[in-house]
Amino acid sequence: MAELHAALGMVFAWDVLAVILGASLFGLLIGAIPGLTATMATALLVPVTFFMEPLPAISAIVAATAMAIVAGDIPGALLRIPGTPASAAYTEEAYLMGRKGKIGQALGVNLVCSVVGGLIGVAILAFFAPLVADFALRFTSDEYFWLALLGLSCAVLVSGADPLKGAISMLIGLLISMVGMDSVSGQIRFTFGISDLLSGISILPVLIGLFAVAELLRRMPEIGHTHFPPPPPVEKPFSGVGSLMWQYKGGIARSGVLGTLIGALPGAGADIASWISYALSRKLSRTPEKYGTGHPEGLVAASSANNAALSGAYIPALVFGIPGDTITAIIIGVLMMKGITPGPDVFTSNATLVNAIFIVFILANLLLLPLGLLAIRGARHILAVPSSVLYPLILLFCIVGAFAANNSLLDVWLMLGLGLLAYFLVENDFPIGPMILAVILGPVVESNFMRSMIKANGELLVLFERPIAAMLGGLALLVWLAIIVSSVRSAWQTRASATSS
Amino acid sequence: MRINDLLMGLVMALLGAITIWASKDFPPLARQPYGAGTFPTIIGAFLVGLGLLLSLRGWQQRGALFLWQGQVTLSRTLICLLAVIAAVAGYVLLTPLLGFPLVAPLMLTLLIGWLSDGRWGMAVIVAIVASAVVWSVFALLLHVPLDLGILEEVIY
Repeated sequence: MAELHAALGMVFAWDVLAVILGASLFGLLIGAIPGLTATMATALLVPVTFFMEPLPAISAIVAATAMAIVAGDIPGALLRIPGTPASAAYTEEAYLMGRKGKIGQALGVNLVCSVVGGLIGVAILAFFAPLVADFALRFTSDEYFWLALLGLSCAVLVSGADPLKGAISMLIGLLISMVGMDSVSGQIRFTFGISDLLSGISILPVLIGLFAVAELLRRMPEIGHTHFPPPPPVEKPFSGVGSLMWQYKGGIARSGVLGTLIGALPGAGADIASWISYALSRKLSRTPEKYGTGHPEGLVAASSANNAALSGAYIPALVFGIPGDTITAIIIGVLMMKGITPGPDVFTSNATLVNAIFIVFILANLLLLPLGLLAIRGARHILAVPSSVLYPLILLFCIVGAFAANNSLLDVWLMLGLGLLAYFLVENDFPIGPMILAVILGPVVESNFMRSMIKANGELLVLFERPIAAMLGGLALLVWLAIIVSSVRSAWQTRASATSS
Repeated sequence: MRINDLLMGLVMALLGAITIWASKDFPPLARQPYGAGTFPTIIGAFLVGLGLLLSLRGWQQRGALFLWQGQVTLSRTLICLLAVIAAVAGYVLLTPLLGFPLVAPLMLTLLIGWLSDGRWGMAVIVAIVASAVVWSVFALLLHVPLDLGILEEVIY
């Protein structure tokens, strides 16, 4: 109880509340602009959070991402252009509701379901995370090695249609994480004589390069070639939302839980959660034929799931230090920069901070209602911000942000190089998610493996001696088998289609 | 720009081979078969294997080595890429000489003016205001040492 009281005191400080409000407004702006993602909002926030205490830093990211996902629904419903990938699953449905004169109701459903889904996710996170952490206290380097490897493997498996490209993307991320002084042997690797690289490639230019610069490079050529029509006016956003919520209460609860579980899977974020929830809702619906015609049932399910997934991703991130998605990969990077290594110990050594994070989640989700309403009302103005002005400003922010962590211009070059690399990879269907997860998890995998080998005098089979380690190891090997089978099958199908054509 | 998987795979395999070669001299830990070279070698080996698999798949597809698709022309995309590279390179090379207060507004003015089809008046105003805001947040509030360049001599 004393910890909860202390946590409340931490959260309800004026600076934390101001950070939550400011970050929410920032997330609102980024999310509502088509093409700019919640991950980009997070990457752009990191340079500023670098100078904050851990709680305001995490609060800023939690608030900005939750708001960005909700704001991403607005251009989807108004213009048929999803603001973030997490809104893509139900953009058509929301837009068609608007065509039926129910645009206010569609946006109201999006907003309220997002809040409810987010709160379900927080409840599951707050209940299960300490239990899992208690269990994880018994883990040794063997379990952590397999867990991190399992995280990487799952990220590859769920990263997209092509696990082969996902695996290559992961390997590039691992290679990036190998630069600098090896934490176990002290050996200097791949620094090319540059002393600034001795401590490795800083996470900040990596994040900004992969998620902000690459996105800018993709979007900038479209300026002047894509014109958004003026959005229709939104009237009575909460009209009829209550009755719809009651009608589909089972779907909301199911999607909230499902979204949280999917979010907890490494590599599977809010976008995958909303697609799966939408598909499941259609499968279980009594009126599946109405889906795709402006029917609110799928909208209710998917809107609840994507915000729940945001909370779910924090379960493995906080408990094991294994990111559930790209956003929690950034959170782990931020915590590490502040000297806090996420893991079960955090729940005992920093219990107040963990409780404060849960409270921030609740607060950020509740704040979605008034700010979401503000975003819906002000959508016309947000969508009127010209990209020709916005993108150069984002570029300047990227440059200064990359420089800010180490006051090093080398980081700005790295940001540019990684941005170009990510641009070319994404253009060729390589997913970026596994790469950033690998940058974070690479040192975890390597250091735990080396610790286990030092303990066991190089005996590899010791990694399977403890029951939980053996189970996790078996699972990781199974996932890799699935990746190999999937890659070979895809190669086989390609060959068959090439032969037939 | 889509590059055929045959080429992409070969580049990845080459990257893997270079990684293995660059890791061969890392010594193992005392009384251990493993050391600083273990993981880079494994990563390199996987890159070689998966890169070759990707190449094989690309070869089976028999498509064009380079393919441009999309609503925007290749020249427009390349110009935008070069503009971003030039902006970042210009910032890195010129800021130590001229200082942030000169380079940032200049960079923003050029980019905004070009992207907005010549609305230079608006570009100058936005660039000056935005640079002042970024300077206030990072240099004054967060104490990031943004370079003053030649202005340092003028001010101090």
